[in-house]
Amino acid sequence: MNTDARRYVILIFFLVIGVIYSIRLFYMQVVDESWTLRAQEIAEKRHVVVPPRGIVKDRNGKKIVINKTYYNLMMCEKDIKHLDTVAFAKLIGWTPEKVKYRFKEIYYEEGFDKNPKTKVRNVPRYQKMRKYAFVKEMTPEEMAEIATSLGNFPGFSEEITSMRSYPYANAANILGYVSEVNGQEVEEDRFYRSGDNIGRAGLERFYETDLRGRKGVHYIVTSAMNNAIEPYANGKYDTTAKQGPVLNLSVDIDLQAYGEKLMVNKRGCIVAIEPSSGEILAMVSAPTFDPNLFVGKRATSQNYPRLLLDKDKPLYPRPLQAEYPPGSIFKLLQSVIALQEGAITVNTGFPCNKSLVGCHNHPSARNIMEAVQMSCNPYYYQAVRRIIQGGRKKGLYADAEEGLRIWSKYMQSFGLGHKLDTDIPGIRSGLIPDPNYYDNVFPSKKHPYGHHQWAFSTIRSISIGQGEVKVTPLQMANIASLIANRGWFYTPHFVKSIGKKGPLPIYIKKNYSMVKSQHFDPVIEGMRRVVNEAGGTARRARLEDIIICGKTGTAQNPQGEDHSVFIAFAPMNNPKIAISVYVENAGAGGQWAAPIASLMIEKYLKNKITDPEKEKRILEANLMNVVKKGK
Amino acid sequence: MSRNQSLTSNVDWGLLIVFFLMLGMGVANVYSVAYNADHPNFFDFSQKYGKQILWIGFSLFLGIVVFLIDSDIYRKFAIPIYLFCLGMLVLVLFMPAVNGAHAWLGFGSLGIQPAEFAKIGTAIALGRYINSLNVNQQNVKTVILANIILLGPMILILMQPDAGSFVVFTSFLFVMYREGLTYDPIVLKLVNLIPGIKFKSTWVGSHFIPILFAVVFLSLVTLLMSNNVLTFEFWPGLEIPGFYGVLISLFLLALISYFILRWISSKRDRSKVTVIVLIGFIMAAGISTTVNVGFQGLAIHQKERIELFLGMREDPNGDDYNRNRAMAAVGSGGLTGKGYKNASLASVESNHVPESETDFIFCPLAEEWGFVGSLVIMFLFMFMLIRIITIAERQKSRFNRVYAYSVAMIIFYHFAINIGMNIGFAPVIGIPLPFFSYGGSSMMSFSVMMFILIKLDSQRNDVLS
Repeated sequence: MNTDARRYVILIFFLVIGVIYSIRLFYMQVVDESWTLRAQEIAEKRHVVVPPRGIVKDRNGKKIVINKTYYNLMMCEKDIKHLDTVAFAKLIGWTPEKVKYRFKEIYYEEGFDKNPKTKVRNVPRYQKMRKYAFVKEMTPEEMAEIATSLGNFPGFSEEITSMRSYPYANAANILGYVSEVNGQEVEEDRFYRSGDNIGRAGLERFYETDLRGRKGVHYIVTSAMNNAIEPYANGKYDTTAKQGPVLNLSVDIDLQAYGEKLMVNKRGCIVAIEPSSGEILAMVSAPTFDPNLFVGKRATSQNYPRLLLDKDKPLYPRPLQAEYPPGSIFKLLQSVIALQEGAITVNTGFPCNKSLVGCHNHPSARNIMEAVQMSCNPYYYQAVRRIIQGGRKKGLYADAEEGLRIWSKYMQSFGLGHKLDTDIPGIRSGLIPDPNYYDNVFPSKKHPYGHHQWAFSTIRSISIGQGEVKVTPLQMANIASLIANRGWFYTPHFVKSIGKKGPLPIYIKKNYSMVKSQHFDPVIEGMRRVVNEAGGTARRARLEDIIICGKTGTAQNPQGEDHSVFIAFAPMNNPKIAISVYVENAGAGGQWAAPIASLMIEKYLKNKITDPEKEKRILEANLMNVVKKGK
Repeated sequence: MSRNQSLTSNVDWGLLIVFFLMLGMGVANVYSVAYNADHPNFFDFSQKYGKQILWIGFSLFLGIVVFLIDSDIYRKFAIPIYLFCLGMLVLVLFMPAVNGAHAWLGFGSLGIQPAEFAKIGTAIALGRYINSLNVNQQNVKTVILANIILLGPMILILMQPDAGSFVVFTSFLFVMYREGLTYDPIVLKLVNLIPGIKFKSTWVGSHFIPILFAVVFLSLVTLLMSNNVLTFEFWPGLEIPGFYGVLISLFLLALISYFILRWISSKRDRSKVTVIVLIGFIMAAGISTTVNVGFQGLAIHQKERIELFLGMREDPNGDDYNRNRAMAAVGSGGLTGKGYKNASLASVESNHVPESETDFIFCPLAEEWGFVGSLVIMFLFMFMLIRIITIAERQKSRFNRVYAYSVAMIIFYHFAINIGMNIGFAPVIGIPLPFFSYGGSSMMSFSVMMFILIKLDSQRNDVLS
């Protein structure tokens, strides 16, 4: 058999493969465009457009959080040619060492991917052909200064970005702030890439997924030499960036600003709610700070540590987190519970027996209205004893246990002792003791009173809002709202609508307390007298033409001067505003808290102040250094 | 006789020049792809290009040694060399695995892959065996013995496992085919089992290998193209499904070969040519259609498994869609490329195409030099292969011819699979592109292989057997 001819079979094989491959290469490289586009896609020539965050408006449509244009100085290492580090550092006002350090910093900030073969995280994500922000958050003025010289440094370019701005400089503790995402957040949510901003506190954080909007992606085709930009496939696959919806707040920024003004040089808070809707009108935490201090990385890194270390704790959101003893304002709730439980009737009177509990000098209260008006401690000692020791069970201890169980349920139904579902992060629950608390937790977990080891006499201080009871100022305002509504409330909230969507569903659901509405009327009458009649404790709060119903409190403070407390609502018959004011270490409630509440109410309802003297007294007062008793 | 002639007499300069041309282009390409701006020196031995130069230097040293040794030694010591290679392949199985395969023999960063050198040993052993046979001594026993020579290293390589080298070893089947050592006797025996049939030879049996290769190649291309849509820049809107693209290409190929064959064949054979081309086309189209219909008819999970094997879909383990990225790099080269050291995808630094300095070395070439550069590479390899076949056919010794054909087929396999991988015509199995890929083992083994061939050829007149 002659096999010599078989050489041609093999030769033809070679040639056929050679020809087929050449044709294929011609098709791929010259004819077919799609591989070029795929190459662009791989080289991440896609431009992600981060939309500006949604803006925030107050209840009157005033813009209170807006976006301002800033610039990032971008760097693309591939395009950098013979960088004169010294000249460049001089241009941007850095030291050459800082410039060098910044290059390294960007490289490591990008992080590393897993090597698919060795499963070790050591493949850098950093790409020389990608743009990175070298200097962030330059103002338009700063950028204008260097823009003309930027041409001398190839590889550097400018990019527009936006940052928050707060025209009113108020409501910092409500609005929160934004800052750059950290590595963990990038891992957890694919939406973010390093350098993106995220809401850190307040509404910015709570409504982050709304405010951040939708990112846009533009696929861009560049020539081999990285120029001649044109959209890929005529923008067929592009998505447009969409700004987050407008957040319409219930906050009245003017009232908020006025409240912050009144609280200058004081520690404490004001919370104002519209009772008919649960909308928060103002929430002042004093001392406060200008939210513009936290705009941008540079400003934040300067201001944040300073504010964090301030001994007056301006970053501490008191209305949400400060758990204060409520003091005498608690008597309002004790009254309605006692009435509902039948422990007393409207016309029950108790002698002001100071041997039971201390009191100021006043005639004995003959009915519930007078008890509220005069804030008689022994009255409530006796009334609450009837609630707790109601004779429901045999034996003193078992009876007290049952009584406290029922009492704490009432208190829970008023929104106390648990976190309110308000649309802001960082809310605290306060404390309403129940039998379990005294059995297992108080005075300490190690040595609690124990089961059936306590009775009313042990826990009597809760009857006048002292002792174990703790309430946040937001809850206090909510109580004012509950009383104004005669027994129900909407969960307090800040956002009326997100774009065109209404508030979250939980905010249009009425919460009923366990007390029937008729039992609130005598208490409200008592509150009217507190402000409007001789012998009331809050005469300073009185207004000529608006009937304010209120209740003062003087919360005993073992660490220093008593806290001044006042809750109120107005007008009496058609409540528009419910308010709580808490001024730390300011003494009696009628002294400071009541007039501040009165000014807020007048400002909100009439938008003017009829008694400039009253306003002046508050504005000039400095209660900051009053800590120790007896000054 | 002519033993005293100078060492360089009878050297095939054409082959040697192409060889050096490829080495030069190869190292320049490695310099481009692995370029590190902090170490711009070409001879920086901390960089891959520096190391590649070291490897080339060492390979050339081995080449000189080969030139100094009388070429008769290979035939004489064929069996010990072959057994030594087998021993290395056994030894390597006890080495720690690198990237999941026991392929490296050596210490630290200095290692060699015995599989690369086993190709030379096997070529020599096969040459020695076939040389010992009479020209027409073809029976079941000789075919099986020749296959056993192949199967030894193949099984050991499969145990590493190294699919790429395993496939390359099937190239020896073509060498056996050329020497008439095909599966004809086996096929004949099977066919003649059927009562009433008494063939002396079968066409399928004697051309079993090229037919098998053609079928496999056609099937692969059909499969790999089945999910594609061909688009044309000059005719927007024209979209041809990949399968029809294959059929159209086959038709065009048949048409071209028909005219070429008509042109070169004598008048007497012209009607024969028409029939052969027609039958060839119908068979090829039939195979392609069968594969395509069969593939589309598979259950989804079976389809996925095949696609995964062929590298057509992303590995669920997160290993990247290598082939697609490589193709994007090649395809984005355009007519004249992006320019030297300007690969935006295939450079090691950008890291878009993994292994772009070894298995996907063709990517930076095609991306930076475009179609023009790619065509130059195709021509160089075609020239080299045809040159080696020419050399093979002028050998007087059957040993030399088998060896030369082995070299041609091994290089052809590497070339066809490696570049096929880059253009979507072959599954992704890691084998280097001879003289271009970075790496010591392949550089040394291919160089030694080439120098042995040139040496054997230069002494072709000495050998009488």
